[in-house]
Amino acid sequence: MADITLLQRLCELHGISGRERQVADVILEEISPFATTVQKDALGNIIAFKKGAKEPSVRLMLSAHMDEVGLIVTHIGENGLLKFAEVGGIDRRVLCAKPVLVGGTVSGVIGAKPIHLLEGEEKGKSVPVSDLYIDIGAKDKADAECYVSPGDFIAFDAGFHRERGTIISRALDDRAGCAILIDMIKEELPYDMTFVFCVQEEVGLRGSAVAAYTVDPQAAIVVETTTAGDIAGVEPERQVCHVGQGPVLSFMDRRTIYDKPYFDLAMKLAEEQKIPCQTKQAVAGGNDAGAIHTTRSGVRTIAVSIACRYLHGPASLIAEQDYHDTERLVRELAVRIAAGENAQ
Amino acid sequence: MEHLQELLFRLCSAPGMSGAEEAAVKAAEQELKQYGAISYDPLGNLVCQMGDSGAKRRILLDAHIDQIGLLVAGITERGFLRLAACGGVDRRALPGTTVTVFGRELLRGVVCCLPPHLVEGSEEKVEPVDKMYVDVGLSREEAERLVTPGDRILWEITPRTLLNGRFTAAGLDNRAGVCTMIRCAELLAKEELSCSVTTLLSTREEVGGQGAKTGAFAHDPTEAITVDVSFAGQPGVPEQKSGKMSAGPMVGIAPTLDQEMTDELVRLAKEREIPFQYEVMGGTTGTNADSIGTARSGVRCALASVPLRYMHTPVEVIDIVDIENTAKLLAAYIREGKVWQI
Repeated sequence: MADITLLQRLCELHGISGRERQVADVILEEISPFATTVQKDALGNIIAFKKGAKEPSVRLMLSAHMDEVGLIVTHIGENGLLKFAEVGGIDRRVLCAKPVLVGGTVSGVIGAKPIHLLEGEEKGKSVPVSDLYIDIGAKDKADAECYVSPGDFIAFDAGFHRERGTIISRALDDRAGCAILIDMIKEELPYDMTFVFCVQEEVGLRGSAVAAYTVDPQAAIVVETTTAGDIAGVEPERQVCHVGQGPVLSFMDRRTIYDKPYFDLAMKLAEEQKIPCQTKQAVAGGNDAGAIHTTRSGVRTIAVSIACRYLHGPASLIAEQDYHDTERLVRELAVRIAAGENAQ
Repeated sequence: MEHLQELLFRLCSAPGMSGAEEAAVKAAEQELKQYGAISYDPLGNLVCQMGDSGAKRRILLDAHIDQIGLLVAGITERGFLRLAACGGVDRRALPGTTVTVFGRELLRGVVCCLPPHLVEGSEEKVEPVDKMYVDVGLSREEAERLVTPGDRILWEITPRTLLNGRFTAAGLDNRAGVCTMIRCAELLAKEELSCSVTTLLSTREEVGGQGAKTGAFAHDPTEAITVDVSFAGQPGVPEQKSGKMSAGPMVGIAPTLDQEMTDELVRLAKEREIPFQYEVMGGTTGTNADSIGTARSGVRCALASVPLRYMHTPVEVIDIVDIENTAKLLAAYIREGKVWQI
């Protein structure tokens, strides 16, 4: 069983792209007693090697990203209100009237004009980011500058909740992947494997590109969360994948056409091991596989993801069972790839 | 101020949507019962009676205790909850928000939205509330066991303090007014009052003001002051339509409010050096003062409002000092205000 306490610990940390240190510190603390070697590179990626019982026939790298989407303070107004930019892809509709933490400690809210003063069509229109601002209660600019400065990161102020088989939290993308990798490092492995915890996925797959260069693997498994559109009001053909129906295997997204023999291997393993499993039924989104599979002379890459609703919002949702099943499938798949199965 | 902040925290932590105000009312009762005799009326209004109930000067202090929220309108085939608004909900604040569903058990849910990866076309449009859904992570069967149409839904949000004594919570409209009432009662607690003071924490303001209408009839006051919240200055809100945060109660001036009472409030504020500001309206006020003024054969009425930002969103913001100053002004009026002959 995957460790949910660990997942909670990771989700409660703050780490927007480029500011992953808090997450990295905890991951280092978690894995250092168990990994054979651990290093941090120039961008802040963590690269951990774990010796297994045997030498692998295929050098395998498992990857998850530490960063999350968020906001960053761009300007402090004379009125003490903060202007901000999005870091990573956020639908502006989830921003209005949300509580946030600036710099990890200062409480604020994203303000909106009262509905009573909106005119006509304004009521049904989302507010452009350029018109939004954060109110921390500062009286004016000088007052605000005592507590915050441009460049401070901003995260949704939202908790971690586990109940009735679901987990609701911010940053499940991709602390869930990080937690699965940490779980694996903590156990004995049949083959040597390298685990990377990457920075800056949400701003262009930048961390994984250099980590993969350093590790120089033959094969890679990206452990991610992916967009579940299985919500009310969305037609079945646009739902992509379903929460509660097992790990999601991608054949293609906007950045990668996944390795077919490994995709087939994963499907076969899921059937063999009776792990529920689904395919991502849309070509949408993208993840670190996009950078990893084109590293050096190419890396055979597969992604295994947890179906996640409300990705990149303040409260995303996964099924607890999917988290456990994803970890099981990733473990099995890692062993079989390292053993040389479906190797060309 | 710290104890006022804690009081406001307790008041805002208790849910109290229109027509389902029980928990909020109980929280207020816990505070008010030490100052006067508590009673309830058929629409659920809480009444706290202080002073000399036989006096000729019978003042009604009114603050509505209900807050806006959502209702479960139905359950879809796949277990999502369909929604209806209860009061003037700002739909722009809903997508992606975590909510509490008050079903047979408390359920946590998320207002459905698509991730940016799957959004086709414009981010501009926000669906109307009746086209939004809440995800409680349950199948239809499970959801039907725990949720019934009509169950209430509120945004799940913990009250938080901001800098400089400012405070954010859902439902500060009008727990800020309720808090003012309790603080006013506290200020008068040790005094012998020559008048009758009836505090009415009225229900259902956000859906039409039915609580204040029946409450004003029942208690037949000679005069009344309503305390509510009003717009504080913020970007996008014209200066002439808003008050200033931290600058004291907004004393209402309107054709429907009693000019002499208003003048008296202003005189007392100046004399006692209580900061205040004017809020001028051209007709009715959009508050309970409108219906209280026409109860039975008519009641002279005044209005004091606590300035508030981001009204009807889950992150309303006020300054505690404005509550304190509003309470002080009410207390001064009760102690020393002119006695009206009619």
